[in-house]
Amino acid sequence: MKATRQAVRRAAISGLLAALAAGRAPAASAEELRGRVELLARGGKGLARDADVRQAVVFFEPSAARSTRAPETPYEMVTEDKEFVPRVLAVPRGAKVRFPNADPILHNVFSVSGQNSFDFGLYRKGPGQTKRFDTPGLVRVFCNVHHAMVGYIWVLQTPFSTAPASDGSFALPNLPRGSGKLTVWHEQAEPWTIALDVPTPGPVAARVEVSRPRIPPHLDKSGRSYFRSNREKYGG
Amino acid sequence: MTAKLHVGAAGLLGLALAVAPARGQEADAGVPPEASSLRPKLEFGLEAKAHYRRSDENRFAVKFPFTPDMLPVGQTQGFEETVDEGNHFEISVVTLFADATWSDQLVAHAKVNFIDLYERNPTSSADEVNVDELWLRFGHDSQPALLPAGSGAYVKVGKFPKLERQNDRHLESYGLATTAFNRLEDVGLEVGVDLGRHFYLKGSLTAGNPVFLRDPNALAGDNGTSNLLRKNPDPVIKSGVVIPYDAAVQSLDEDGDLQKGGAVGLRFASEDGETGLDALAFGRERKLAKTLDIRGSFYGGDLDLLDGPAGIDPAKVAFPVTSDRKREVGADLWLYRGGLSFFGQYVDQDLGGLGRTGYEGEFAWRFDLPLAASFGGRQLFPSIQPAVRYSKLTPDYKSPPQSPSPSFAWPWEKWDAGLRVAIVAGVDVTAEYSHNTFTLGSGAKRHNDELLATLRWQI
Repeated sequence: MKATRQAVRRAAISGLLAALAAGRAPAASAEELRGRVELLARGGKGLARDADVRQAVVFFEPSAARSTRAPETPYEMVTEDKEFVPRVLAVPRGAKVRFPNADPILHNVFSVSGQNSFDFGLYRKGPGQTKRFDTPGLVRVFCNVHHAMVGYIWVLQTPFSTAPASDGSFALPNLPRGSGKLTVWHEQAEPWTIALDVPTPGPVAARVEVSRPRIPPHLDKSGRSYFRSNREKYGG
Repeated sequence: MTAKLHVGAAGLLGLALAVAPARGQEADAGVPPEASSLRPKLEFGLEAKAHYRRSDENRFAVKFPFTPDMLPVGQTQGFEETVDEGNHFEISVVTLFADATWSDQLVAHAKVNFIDLYERNPTSSADEVNVDELWLRFGHDSQPALLPAGSGAYVKVGKFPKLERQNDRHLESYGLATTAFNRLEDVGLEVGVDLGRHFYLKGSLTAGNPVFLRDPNALAGDNGTSNLLRKNPDPVIKSGVVIPYDAAVQSLDEDGDLQKGGAVGLRFASEDGETGLDALAFGRERKLAKTLDIRGSFYGGDLDLLDGPAGIDPAKVAFPVTSDRKREVGADLWLYRGGLSFFGQYVDQDLGGLGRTGYEGEFAWRFDLPLAASFGGRQLFPSIQPAVRYSKLTPDYKSPPQSPSPSFAWPWEKWDAGLRVAIVAGVDVTAEYSHNTFTLGSGAKRHNDELLATLRWQI
């Protein structure tokens, strides 16, 4: 199952990179930015054991605006074994994401993240519905039935994005020379951002402290506590 | 003048229906109706319970001078005796729910029970139809250990649970303190004020529940009823092994002295409600009636229950009542952490000069299970929840020597332990065991236990 999920995730990230690359030819002055993400335990005391560095998103935003072009083929975030697979998805602005249900049970995928909000209602196993994301930023995705189901979609305006390997290493190829902003985002940490000039003199080290639970505090789609509904429905 | 409860309930229901549109439609799930909408969001629910029960058989001799026609031929002594012991498969209760929500600030709620064996006291047979709750609320009322958005207030009128009652029980049985003091609903008015998000006040003006007797076991009945009172040679008078408790409201303001209650609370919680603490201190007082008619029983309620039968030397049968006031003060504590929950309650009662304290604590832990199988688009066995409760009642008065209910004065402990298994969303089974230990006037300890397995279905 894990292999399947990793494959889906790799495909999603690769798809993003391929789609982004399709919109432009690499510049003659293209550079590659390499680095490593380390997730540290609270207080910076050693490596965090309860956080998966592969779930991080690393993206570079050049100071000079870059256009992105979303592919026609939708990305996928599947509900499977009461989880979102992949858990983290990076897509270009304007991309469509389909939410198939691979479980034999009902799910209700929704988001209340600003302009990217949506609510599919309860739906059974099947291809699911598709949502187009036009507003850059982080989209938090939940299931209204299952509190522990959490997913993230990064809607990016930059074509330069990747996910770290299991050892935290990453590479962003084909970057334009010049200044820009590098961001490392992980669901359990504050975003890590640095301004830099490409090419960099060496690899970038992003040491990020894990400070958040894997399941973030959140309410259901109506703004009510999941835990209230878990308590006795009719009281007394 | 006495207005019977069902008349008042019907009037309130009529009021609610008059306000609601005749053809209300259910709003889209999860989308609160607009505050200005005249069309409420209507929600209906159904809950049915069936159970297997095995109740211990117990009988404790009492010295009350029953007349020969009240006893089986050849029997010279009466007993406090388990009413309906042994093994039983029964439909416990069928409940209909209706909610009309115009906004978070205006809600009407109705809960109607059919068959309800849980409340077949004072009668051994349940009322065929019982309006358990029927209220209209203006303003927002927060659940325990959940933070409101800010300051606010509400007014609730109708029939509703007492303000200190545990709102989310995890076993089908009840603790001793809950049974004695706040298991059943009262009728009247309740107000609440949130001063900020953490501090709150509540007050109530209600009819008050009559003091009557019941067996603390979940489904034990009371055979002191006219419909089951058989004449010689086979009379049946089984009260159960009983404690005084706040019985179902029989009428509105029987003697003109409404019960006044108040509470002050403090709550802290995470924004999503996963973690929470709520502490509530409460008190209430009312005047005890000389007697109250208890529907279905020839026993009288309130002081009549404590004074003993007329025509017999009070020194032999009357509890040492010194006033006509009934007061309770107490405190609740709710704690939540994810699937973990604790509810504790302490109550100190003055019942016409008879003092009694009671407390209980319930600990439950809900575990969500991984998806292994499904049925009809829903997960099979989505969760399990073990729960345990300890409760204790300590009367500080003695029973008169010939009381028909000496158990009123017995110190009592009860352990309830069980496991609730969710079969599919809306259907669960709770298996539990109640272990009662009480101390007789002689100092001997006895037990009166009950095994209960309940299948519950909710839609």
